[in-house]
Amino acid sequence: MDVFYFTEMPYAEFPESEAEKFPSMRLTFPNTYFDPKTASGLMNRYLDEYQYAEEMGFDGLMINEHHNTPSCMDVEVNITGGILARITNRAKILMLGNMLPTSDNPVRLAEEIALLDVISGGRIISGFVRGIGIESWANNTNPIHNRERFEECHDLVVKTWTTPGPFRWEGNHYHYRAVNPWMLPVQKPHPPVWVPGTGSPETVEWTARHRYTYAAFLTPLEVAKNLFARYREYAAADGWEPGPEKFAFMICAHVNDTDEKAQESGKAFLWRMNYPLRGPREYWSPPGYTSRAGAAAVAARRPTPLHEMTYRELQDRYHLVVGSPETVIRKLRHIRDELGVGSLLLEAQGGQLSHSDTMRSIELFGKEVIPALKD
Amino acid sequence: MLNFTEETISVAGGNLQVYKGGSGDPLLVLHGAGGNAGPRRYAQALAEQFTVYLPSHPGYGKSDRPGWVESMQDLACFYTWFQEQEGLENVRAIGFSMGGWLAAEMLSMTGHAFSKVMLVGAAGIKPNDGEITDIFIISPAQVRDLVYHDPSQVPEWDELLGTDPTPEQVQQAEGDREMAIRLTWRPYMHNPRLPAKLGRVSVPTHILWGENDNLVPVECAGLYQQAIAGSQVTVIPNCGHSPQIEKPDDFVQAALAFL
Repeated sequence: MDVFYFTEMPYAEFPESEAEKFPSMRLTFPNTYFDPKTASGLMNRYLDEYQYAEEMGFDGLMINEHHNTPSCMDVEVNITGGILARITNRAKILMLGNMLPTSDNPVRLAEEIALLDVISGGRIISGFVRGIGIESWANNTNPIHNRERFEECHDLVVKTWTTPGPFRWEGNHYHYRAVNPWMLPVQKPHPPVWVPGTGSPETVEWTARHRYTYAAFLTPLEVAKNLFARYREYAAADGWEPGPEKFAFMICAHVNDTDEKAQESGKAFLWRMNYPLRGPREYWSPPGYTSRAGAAAVAARRPTPLHEMTYRELQDRYHLVVGSPETVIRKLRHIRDELGVGSLLLEAQGGQLSHSDTMRSIELFGKEVIPALKD
Repeated sequence: MLNFTEETISVAGGNLQVYKGGSGDPLLVLHGAGGNAGPRRYAQALAEQFTVYLPSHPGYGKSDRPGWVESMQDLACFYTWFQEQEGLENVRAIGFSMGGWLAAEMLSMTGHAFSKVMLVGAAGIKPNDGEITDIFIISPAQVRDLVYHDPSQVPEWDELLGTDPTPEQVQQAEGDREMAIRLTWRPYMHNPRLPAKLGRVSVPTHILWGENDNLVPVECAGLYQQAIAGSQVTVIPNCGHSPQIEKPDDFVQAALAFL
């Protein structure tokens, strides 16, 4: 069992009710609320916390990327990945991930990830994501091409890593005369690839077909179970049996000295479950972004949207695990055993959780929770 | 009331759904991004003088999308192919909104597409001052609210919008919206090179706009007029983006006078 530390690097330094004045806290929420000096302090704080997470015993550090949103200041995983590659020396660096469909230059992407693998000495896990619908707007990439660009970009990145150059690429969306980057990854044949999902049947099938690790994101346990079962079916049909290393689960998790203290400090996570998850359907799912099958699956994945759940409901349904080390160990073991996952991806800093509460949580995870999940 | 028939014509490797009605010289009617609403009142009136052809663009309605139709220029190529095959070159045409842009792209490609053409609230040219409303980032209900200047003057309101759509109609509208986004995503609803290419146009062109168009700014009427030598402009007062639906009598009068 590998345990990863994760934060979206939020910027929660303004009255959240301001979001009420706009269709969403994402995409069109004005960036006049952003103060670079505040961001500078926060970004450096978050990077310090990642360093401490490695020191305390997390197996891996996970980073992600979004655009036009205060909920995630990381706008380029290959930048923050490069920093982590240099300021840490043991932990895996899970970038989950690079948005393939919005990338106009897959060869550059292959080079950047290879450079990170070189600097980190082969610690990179290369997550590839479709990007939520909002990223199609923010990057102005036609959502109708999302899946085909994802697949072609992936094919080209992997070929760039594994096929001696120079070669030519004349695809539907990408075209190159001489693919021949000097920089290649340390890990052979290439860094592990992970793919997140929240329900799209096509994504599960595609991930299984490539034998990549599938990470279920904030889904109910039952939904994750079904998605993993589908993965196993595809693998069986293909003649192989996936081990736990092919499955990961991402949730929010917070530990403090006692259940009472944790219940109080854990309320900071409600910020990330609220306005950042609201907004018009067109923002989240522009026309063409989701297939009809995918749309049906997404509609079925959560009976109630996260932003309509109470603090209690979020915990009861295992979207947010909060408590003393003992409580959190019990709950995370339950998830591990229910799902048979090889990795837990813990968003352990979320929303308005303060530096001191984050550091204490990291310390308790490292000293008490993570060792107990290894047995 | 003249009867229209619904036909399926095989063109360029796919089936094209076409409403056809009336008698007289052919008149090709090209619908907008929202889809083919069928032979509405204005089309019935035009069918008294002309044989009206009202196709659903590839990827819209019941029409197939040949896999190569990815852009407005591809769509224009498709329609010139359709015209050649069906003997419908050098005919009169009306293009609404995105269909107006389509007609303009066809005009820029060949001198024998149309004998006379009307561009109505046409997309395709970037306004200088305003912006073409992004219809994809807002909901279909919000788009509908912007289309009509005064819904109370829409004679076919009940028929077109008075009842909740069936699940099939919702699916159809979703499919139509996906085709629109495929064709017009970027640059959004215009072609920066179109005005220059319209310099070749020599057929009589009538540009018609609703004065209160909330989707494609009325200034675009002037930009089309500048781009097409000898073209004339009519602006219908107190009218939104779809004069043919909102003020069908005024629209038909203007259309018949020109065509």
